[in-house]
Amino acid sequence: MEINGYRTADGEQLKSYEELAEDGSTACGGWLYCGVFPQRGMNRANHRDPTLAGSVYPNWCFSWPHNRRIMYSRASADPLGRPWSDRKKLIWWNPVQGKWIGLDEPDFEPAKPPGYQPKPGQKGMEAIAGDAPFIQHPDGRGWLFAPAAVKDGPLPTHYEPRESPVRNPLYSVQYNPTLKEHNGPLNPLAPPVDPAFPVAATTCRLTEHYLSGPMSRFNSWLNELQPEMFVEISPELAAGRGITHGGWMVVSTPRGKIEARAMVTRRIKPLTVDGRLLHQIAVPIHWGYAGEVVGAIANDLTSLLTEPNVSMHEGKSFACQVRAGRLNCRQPRAVTAPREEG
Amino acid sequence: MNIISRIIQNRLLYPFRRPAPPPPRSAMGFFTDTTLCIGCKACEVACKQWNQLPADGFSWSGKSYDNTMMLSASTWRHVTFVEQFGADIDGNGAAMVPGGYSPSTASGSILETLLAQPKPGRWLMMSDVCKHCAQAPCQVACPTGAIIHNEFADVYIQNDICNGCGYCVAACPFGVITRSDVDGHAHKCTLCYDRQRDGMTPACAKACPTESIIFGPLEELRERARRRVIQLHERGQTGARLYGDQATETYPALHAFFLLLDQPSLYGLPDQPYFPQLHLGGDYLRMAVGIVLTVAAVVVPLLSYGF
Repeated sequence: MEINGYRTADGEQLKSYEELAEDGSTACGGWLYCGVFPQRGMNRANHRDPTLAGSVYPNWCFSWPHNRRIMYSRASADPLGRPWSDRKKLIWWNPVQGKWIGLDEPDFEPAKPPGYQPKPGQKGMEAIAGDAPFIQHPDGRGWLFAPAAVKDGPLPTHYEPRESPVRNPLYSVQYNPTLKEHNGPLNPLAPPVDPAFPVAATTCRLTEHYLSGPMSRFNSWLNELQPEMFVEISPELAAGRGITHGGWMVVSTPRGKIEARAMVTRRIKPLTVDGRLLHQIAVPIHWGYAGEVVGAIANDLTSLLTEPNVSMHEGKSFACQVRAGRLNCRQPRAVTAPREEG
Repeated sequence: MNIISRIIQNRLLYPFRRPAPPPPRSAMGFFTDTTLCIGCKACEVACKQWNQLPADGFSWSGKSYDNTMMLSASTWRHVTFVEQFGADIDGNGAAMVPGGYSPSTASGSILETLLAQPKPGRWLMMSDVCKHCAQAPCQVACPTGAIIHNEFADVYIQNDICNGCGYCVAACPFGVITRSDVDGHAHKCTLCYDRQRDGMTPACAKACPTESIIFGPLEELRERARRRVIQLHERGQTGARLYGDQATETYPALHAFFLLLDQPSLYGLPDQPYFPQLHLGGDYLRMAVGIVLTVAAVVVPLLSYGF
C-alpha cells in the first residue's frame, strides 16, 4: 500500500497518480505504481482477465504507469483526434465529454483537446501541443534526428566494431569515431580487416553459470552442469583449422590467447558478408582461475574500448584467430583441498 | 513368565507384524511437455538441492549442453539436448526438419504464417526422469520388497530395506536406477514422496519456469496432454506424440509420461519398451520341463530297477 499511495488523513488508497499532491496530503512510494491497489482487497497486478480490447488486454495484470498498455498512444489518432485506422484504433478525442477515451489508458493529458496550441514561453506539459504525442520529449515530437544527448549523434548509422574483419558496407566511416580507446601496452588493437585476425568473435552466456563465475563456480550442482570452458565454432571453421569436436583450440587476439575445448556445432554458421565468407565463434564468459572448476577467461581476449555515451565496454564483438592445439604454458588448476596451515 | 512372553513378542512375533499401509490416494504423476522445455536445468538443481544429492563429477561431455549424461543414484532428473540443424550456410533456405514438421498443414493466421516459415533447424530439450511405471520391472525384480508402489501409485525404493543387490538396475528398460557409490544401495526419483505427503509439489515441477514439468492427478495430466497434442498438430507440428500415456502391448503405462516431437530413440528412450519379465514365460516353461525330465531321470531307472 505504501508503494501505491494513500491519503495521509484517512489512509484511503489512491486510484491514480493524478491524485498525488505536493502538500503532504498524499504519500506514495512510487508514482509509476500508483493505482495498482486502488482500493482495499483489489490488487490489479493479480488480475487475469484475458479479454482483448482492440489490440490490448487492459485487465491483464497492471501496466505502469496508470495501466497504460501502449506508450505515446496519442499517435494512434490524427491531428483532429480521430483514429487513423478503425482496425487499429486505441484512443480518440470525445468532444462531448471533453477528454480522450478509448481501449487503453491514454498516454496523454486526458483533457487536452487536439487543437490545443501552447503559448510562447510555456513550459513542461503546457508546452506540448494537442497533436504532439511524444510527450517525453520537450517538444512532443518524435525525433529521427537527435539534436541533443548523444555524443555520437545526430543521425544514426551503422558502424563496425573497432576490431572488425570486414569493411563497413553501409557507411564510409569504418567505426565510431567518438569511441574511447584506452591506449596502452595492455590494449593493442588490430586494424580493420587485419588478415592476422580474420574471425569474428562474440561473447555469450550460458544458463548454468552467473556472470564471470565467482558466484557459481564454487557450487558443485552448477559446476557439474557446465564444468569446462569451451568455445562454440562452426563445422566449416573447425574443418578448415583441423579442430575436432571436444578437442582443444586456441583463440588469440592482439591482447591475449586462451585455450578451450571446442564445441563444434551446427548452431554456429559462417556468414556471407559483402560476397565473402565470414566465420564467427562464440566465447562463454563464465570461467576464471579460481573455483571448484576453472577455465580460460574470455576477457583475456577482449579490448579496452568504451562507448562514448555510457562507457559500455565493447566486449561483444572483436576480431580473433583460431587454431587447433593447446597453449604451451601452465594453466590454472582447480584447488579442491584447503591449503595446509604453517 | 513376563520375560518369556516379552521375548516371544519382541523376537518371534514383532518382526513379522506389519502396520496397515497408508490408505491409497489418487494416482499422481508427471507430464513433461518437452515443447516447453528451455533446457535451463532448474529441475536438476532443484532435485539435487531438495534431496541433498552429491554432484557427479565434473566432466565435459561435448554432447551439446548435456554434461549430466544419464540418470543415476545421484542424478534423478537429467536434461537431454538434441541438436537438429540442417547443413545450410547462412540459415537461409529450408532444412527439412525430421520428425514431421509440415508447413503445409498450417492454416491462415499470423501466428500460423510465422510458424510455417522454413526454419534452419531445432534444438530439442527434454527433462528425463524415472518413469514410475504403472507396473514396474524394478519392483517385480526386487528380491527384498524394498521397491513398492506407494499410496500415490508412484514407485518408491525404501532405502533401509534395499540390500544393494542391483537386480532393479538390470530390470529397468530405461536405465533409470544405479547403485550409489556412497552406500551401495539403489536410489532413484521418489517423485518427492516426502513433499507429496505434506501436500507439496515435487521440487522439479515447482522449479520449472515454463511449466514443462507438470505434477498432478494422472487422469487430469493425460487429458491435458491429449489436448496439447491436438493443439500442436493444428499448428503444423505433426511429429508431436505422447510417450507412456497409455499401456502398449509390451509395456504398461508410465505415471511420468512425456510429450515428444520426434522418435523416442532420438531422446534416448526406447521406441518400444519391453517389460523384461515377459521374457520369463518361456523360462518358466523350460524350467518346468527340466524339472519333469530330472525327476523322470531319477525315478524311471528306480522303477525299472524293480521297486
